[in-house]
Amino acid sequence: MSRLEELKTRIKEALPGLECVIGWQKGYDLLHHTPLFMRSEADVDKLEWSPLNVHNPAVYLPPFRGKKVGVVVKGCDSRSVVELLQEKLVNRDEIVIFGLPCDGVVDLSKVKAKLATAGVTAGQVEAVSHNDKTIVVTAGGKAVSMQMTDVAADKCLRCQFPNAVLADAYVGDPIAPSAPSPAADADLTALDAMSVPERMAFWRYHMDRCIRCYACRNACPMCVCRDHCIAQSREPHWLSQDDTVTEKLMFQVVHAMHLAGRCTECGECQRACPMDIPVLALKKHLNRTIHDLFNYQAGVDPAAIPPLLQFKVEEDNIKERGW
Amino acid sequence: MAAVKYIASEKLPEWLKALASERRVLVPVEEGGGVVFRPFDPARQPVFGSDATAPPKAAVFPACQELFRYENGKDPEDAGKPTLNIIPTIEATPTVVFGAKPCGARGFLIFDRVYQGKKFPDPYYTAARDATVFITMACATVENTCFCNWVGSGPADTAGSDVLLTPIAGGYLVEAVSDKGAPFLDSPLLTDGAAKTAEAEAVRTKARESLAPAPDIADAPAALLAAFDDMDFWRDQSDKCISCGACTYLCPTCYCFTITDETAGNAGRRMRSWDACMHFQFTLEASGHNPRPTKAHRLRNRVGHKFSYYPTLHEGLIACCGCGRCVKSCPVSVDIREIVQNAVARAKA
Amino acid sequence: MTDPFNPYLPEVATILETVQETHNIKTFRVRFDDEAKMAAFKFEPGQVGQLSAPGIGESTFVINSPPSRMDYLQFSVMRAGEVTSQLHNLNAGDKIGVRAPLGNAFPYASMKGKDVVFVGGGIGMAPLRTLFLYMLDNRADYGKIRLLYGARSPLDMAFSAELPEWLSRKDIETTLTIDREADGWEHKVGLIPNVLLEMAPKADNCVAITCGPPIMIKFTLEALKKLGFQDDQIYTTLEKRMKCGIGICGRCNIGTSYVCVDGPVYTYAQLKALPNEL
Repeated sequence: MSRLEELKTRIKEALPGLECVIGWQKGYDLLHHTPLFMRSEADVDKLEWSPLNVHNPAVYLPPFRGKKVGVVVKGCDSRSVVELLQEKLVNRDEIVIFGLPCDGVVDLSKVKAKLATAGVTAGQVEAVSHNDKTIVVTAGGKAVSMQMTDVAADKCLRCQFPNAVLADAYVGDPIAPSAPSPAADADLTALDAMSVPERMAFWRYHMDRCIRCYACRNACPMCVCRDHCIAQSREPHWLSQDDTVTEKLMFQVVHAMHLAGRCTECGECQRACPMDIPVLALKKHLNRTIHDLFNYQAGVDPAAIPPLLQFKVEEDNIKERGW
Repeated sequence: MAAVKYIASEKLPEWLKALASERRVLVPVEEGGGVVFRPFDPARQPVFGSDATAPPKAAVFPACQELFRYENGKDPEDAGKPTLNIIPTIEATPTVVFGAKPCGARGFLIFDRVYQGKKFPDPYYTAARDATVFITMACATVENTCFCNWVGSGPADTAGSDVLLTPIAGGYLVEAVSDKGAPFLDSPLLTDGAAKTAEAEAVRTKARESLAPAPDIADAPAALLAAFDDMDFWRDQSDKCISCGACTYLCPTCYCFTITDETAGNAGRRMRSWDACMHFQFTLEASGHNPRPTKAHRLRNRVGHKFSYYPTLHEGLIACCGCGRCVKSCPVSVDIREIVQNAVARAKA
Repeated sequence: MTDPFNPYLPEVATILETVQETHNIKTFRVRFDDEAKMAAFKFEPGQVGQLSAPGIGESTFVINSPPSRMDYLQFSVMRAGEVTSQLHNLNAGDKIGVRAPLGNAFPYASMKGKDVVFVGGGIGMAPLRTLFLYMLDNRADYGKIRLLYGARSPLDMAFSAELPEWLSRKDIETTLTIDREADGWEHKVGLIPNVLLEMAPKADNCVAITCGPPIMIKFTLEALKKLGFQDDQIYTTLEKRMKCGIGICGRCNIGTSYVCVDGPVYTYAQLKALPNEL
């Protein structure tokens, strides 16, 4: 029995005690999967496991509090689940975590770019096939072959957690992480190389393109205050509804600050953005600052407390006394 | 007889330049991984093959616009008496939206009925609408998210356009659609196009025929109402929705807004800005009561409004142009086509 | 009258006087600064206005004075959120913005010759007041008029200054009630629906108009049904979060019905036909 079939069996066994189990199924075309909420055995039969499982199902967990749910996770998704557990936004006894070893997911914007170079559009996809090295997309009558490493999501190129860090039912043998590829942090490298005014110009350019849809906010599993967000609140009144770079940049900065030390870099914010704004870079930057200051990585240890949600009288790397 | 003209592809930049010398011209250009409308810049090549990520909605209905300024003051003759001055700001920049797909222009049909009603016509909208001309580009190819034929539209729909371009060999057929658009055909850069109409028609027919056939959704308005109280049904449709506003803000027909005041000292502005019924705060009342407390309620309203309430109030016109942006740009691929078909199937069962 | 050209512009008005009705309800009596506009202003009982607390925002309130008394327009505001809190800070002499009239009115013409029962709870007396006073000012047009007004306690009763006059009028029947006994209270004690059943108004050739907190409306409707009132004989007014007030911004709808233009006045029959989205 394949790993996927065994996983389906395990889910079917657990289903009667659960509100639902969240996974992925085929989407509206061959290049898209979409989240699946399994409530019956027929639903479970639709479960898919492939590089098209780009969504982070942990985002659906907090509203289910008080009910028992199952969730199928990639390694990066499991870190979000762990972060939610650390902050008690979900209860350990209310979630059943199913995992499979993950070979990575594609970044559809990279696939679309490759197809565009070949003169075809993803919106005319006719066939998709892949093995662990290449993916072939046939669109508009043309078969376009791509290296997986060229179209993998950046996070996969540096992934150190291909296996769920926490799971109740893990199917398959854990796989070893590969050495991180420098290409994965090309966004930070480019920004580091800019002067401060250049960086400001970069972000002002992108915020001018932003349509303030809050897809980045709502796709984030850690952002649970979305219904009461300061970006839309009059009390407290931090932001106006004006469509200006200032307001939108302020929102991004606030959001990134709220996520510092909590963000697991699942990349959903950037993936969700319909305008292709590289918002993940802001969070990655704050995370590396957190890593340098507190030697901490989010979403790895369920018993840990994020550094900005606690304090030490004497910090290891922040010397406030005896300057 | 309506004039039919032709413009060669090489002449297009010149035409755009000429248009831009008199007004703001918005054209689709590549940006990020997609296509967006930006003011014409000779250094940036417009792209007409693919549908823009965001529709040209903002040209007529900006994401934020000032309704009026207000000033608190004191009566110069009696310092004890306050004064309140309200100064409206109705402005419209003459604009040509060049190269939008027909679905992008069609959206304004849905706006017009609401914003230009008899009792309370919206002067801000009217000023912008009157000042904007749509020179749209018919589609030669379609994508798997296009469903304009479901809602009474198509790849060469002229509804909402003033001039229609059709891509043919070497250039574009240019046809006047409205009285507002006709004068644009007078440009000396355009030549007679009568001989090319058959070729253009073939392009349009091919595009129309490559769309997947439209299912019968005539029963959708009644089916959606019938499903109103079935919260299990709406839970299933909305399970994966993350309640952002991407679908709303990218939709050519979505027209909802909020009004907020921003004060600095003694003066300020009342602005209206885009709002999305997908947000929790949209219907949240001061008492704390919310008629649409969950995403299931809100998705029910969104789909209900587009495919049931609006058509019922407006002689069957569906408040959706079938452009598929919501399907393409939804982070989790919520598919409104699926939801409408599920409601229709549910009513038949 | 709201400028027909730009329906978003408020008319600048001055607050003539205020009345602190209860700890959280304040009444404002306003006149437009533009006397010509004030003289030309027309509205019908039940219609509403959007009051601007300049710099904060707008909220919708019924014009609770009747069109037969045009010394001022009266609005009663319950403090609930940002806008209403700012409105409560305003006093006589301050400026306020008014966009009115908006919404539909009570079909008072069709009520002529009929008996009328008003059932109000707390701030719900405000929408009733405009029609109630209009009918008093046109007394001969209407049959038997009864008012049942209740609140949690005497301190929660609005329009206290007017209650003695209403009680003393012989051409109407006014009943006041509070939820629990209170020192010095000379009128009824009991929940509104129960007192209504006691009063037992006859449903024949009668209309009932009721406004108040949702729980009170729910049980009052049950009582009215018990007394034989048909769905199209019962009127109420609805509230929704509103912004434009003119049927455009898309937020106050219940299915196909926009409360700011098709309401706020509805019959119970109309409400039953709408989807359950209150």
